[in-house]
Amino acid sequence: MTTPSAAARPARRGTDRKPRFALAMTVAFFAVLYLPIGVVVLYSFNSQKSLTVFKDFSLRWYRDFFHDQLLIDSLGMSLQVALVAMAGSLVLGVTLALGLVRCRNRLGSLAGLIMLVPLVTPEIVTGVASMLLFKGMQIPLSTGTVMLAEITFSISYVTVILRSRIAALNPEVEEAAMDLGATRWQALRLVTLPALLPSILASAVLIFALVFDDFVLAYFTTGVDPQPLPVRIYSAIRFGVQPTINAVGTLMLVGSIALIALALFIPRLFGRRGGLDLLSGK
Amino acid sequence: MATQNTAEPAPPGLGEESGRLPEDGAADAAGGPRGNRSPGRPARSSASAGGNRLWTVLMLPGTLWMTAFLIGSLVLVATLALGTTDPLGNPRFGFRLENFSALAEPAYLEVMLRSLGYALLTCVICLLIAYPVAYTIALHGGRFKTLLIALIVVPFFANYLVRMYGWSVVLSDDGPLLQGLRAIGLASDGTKILQTGTSVVAGLVYGFIVFMIIPLYAALERMDVALIEAGRDLYGGPLRTFFHVTLPATRQGAAAGCVLVFLPAMGDFVSAQLLGGPDQIMIGNLIQDKFFQGQNWPLGSALTMLLLAVLFLGMLGYLRRARKDEAEALR
Repeated sequence: MTTPSAAARPARRGTDRKPRFALAMTVAFFAVLYLPIGVVVLYSFNSQKSLTVFKDFSLRWYRDFFHDQLLIDSLGMSLQVALVAMAGSLVLGVTLALGLVRCRNRLGSLAGLIMLVPLVTPEIVTGVASMLLFKGMQIPLSTGTVMLAEITFSISYVTVILRSRIAALNPEVEEAAMDLGATRWQALRLVTLPALLPSILASAVLIFALVFDDFVLAYFTTGVDPQPLPVRIYSAIRFGVQPTINAVGTLMLVGSIALIALALFIPRLFGRRGGLDLLSGK
Repeated sequence: MATQNTAEPAPPGLGEESGRLPEDGAADAAGGPRGNRSPGRPARSSASAGGNRLWTVLMLPGTLWMTAFLIGSLVLVATLALGTTDPLGNPRFGFRLENFSALAEPAYLEVMLRSLGYALLTCVICLLIAYPVAYTIALHGGRFKTLLIALIVVPFFANYLVRMYGWSVVLSDDGPLLQGLRAIGLASDGTKILQTGTSVVAGLVYGFIVFMIIPLYAALERMDVALIEAGRDLYGGPLRTFFHVTLPATRQGAAAGCVLVFLPAMGDFVSAQLLGGPDQIMIGNLIQDKFFQGQNWPLGSALTMLLLAVLFLGMLGYLRRARKDEAEALR
């Protein structure tokens, strides 16, 4: 379905004999990886309700989606949540990352540990915990609570991405600025932050996509009306085939794939090679 | 807090600010990263004595936010796990171990063991599939390496629910997979995949395999290919070379991948909900049930703590292993 042929190209380096088994496995893997996504996209254009027989090309499920006020409200809410969580976690995450890299004291290592907690805790635990916190503080679950919870768990991603970038910066550039009379704050604002701009933009896009797509945390912290789009999708597909969901799903796939591709290639736009290090956290 | 750390001598060589030695004195605390600043330069004590303070202040908002919303909420779960419910079903704080002893009931134990089994099986299957894929891409991908990895990672970021939904269509009774298997005679009309343990594990594998591929790919990519050639020069067959050279060199990547897959797989409830039946529920489904349908929050909290405990043990085992590997590598 994708580029299994590319995997079959002659090796540039490494072993001269190609392991046939591993190659076959890779081709099969790519096929299976894209099959479910392909099915959703294909049947979103089906004129029938069936998910097994493709009749004619039709846009009726997309029309249905745009006429479904509940789904449109959910889409609006998800976009709002993603925007607010993006802004909030960027401010808190970038400052935290700067502090963590530069500040070597006991508070710094404690903050570093706290920052890692969301990354090693399954989402259901953090979801349950956030819900209990809001209930315990008598805050009614709503769009606002989803935003608060999403900010909390996006901070870690921003910090992890930014921290390695900050550590890779040459501190002498900042020193030079200060030797030329800049205060530390000016050096930070005029020298360091511009150098970090590509990574900041890339993590902004990444956070937007992650929060928009997030289901578990949103599920535990949302009120009844409106509900974020993934939560709405979940309740719809629990009860069987819903062709409209194919259309919504296709639109979401296109959206998040575009965003992730953008996040990966932002560093290239700024003339730096590669963008995949963003994902490995290096 | 902020002023205390300027006085504290940090071990040398750790980082920029700590490069300063204690005997530099307060006046030269301005010294900054290298500490060997020539004496002729003007001291910027006003600017950088505040340096460490500035970094601490920058760190505070994020840390306080996470402490309040994250650590605070986890403490709340731990506390409520010791509580009870009143006759109306409202949660009450307390100090009882009832919820934990309730978890020892066979019904809960069964779900717990099943979740553990599913998660471990998911790790093994992910490893078996991801290894050849990562191997092919890292060693035979040529200039398409980055593109191929991107083609794996990008769909992974697509909405998890939509992917699981598509997967349920693929595995359904009339879906492409069973139709194909029937066509080649590998499945009969009555064969089902959905609503079985197979489909739940398949869902977990589909959901999280990327977490296995990335660290394996990184490890294989980092490995010195000359080692493989050396193995062959020493008359090792492909299999022997693989088991004695390649596999040990990438063991840490595999271990990291296992942890990264195990964590979300253990806590997942979507796969069992969408692909499994009532006999396939996992601990995540129980927790969800206690908080939404059952309305027994203390018991749900106890289940959550139990899940955390299992994951904590798994992490601990991994970290000890990793430390041992590191010690061996240094020897």
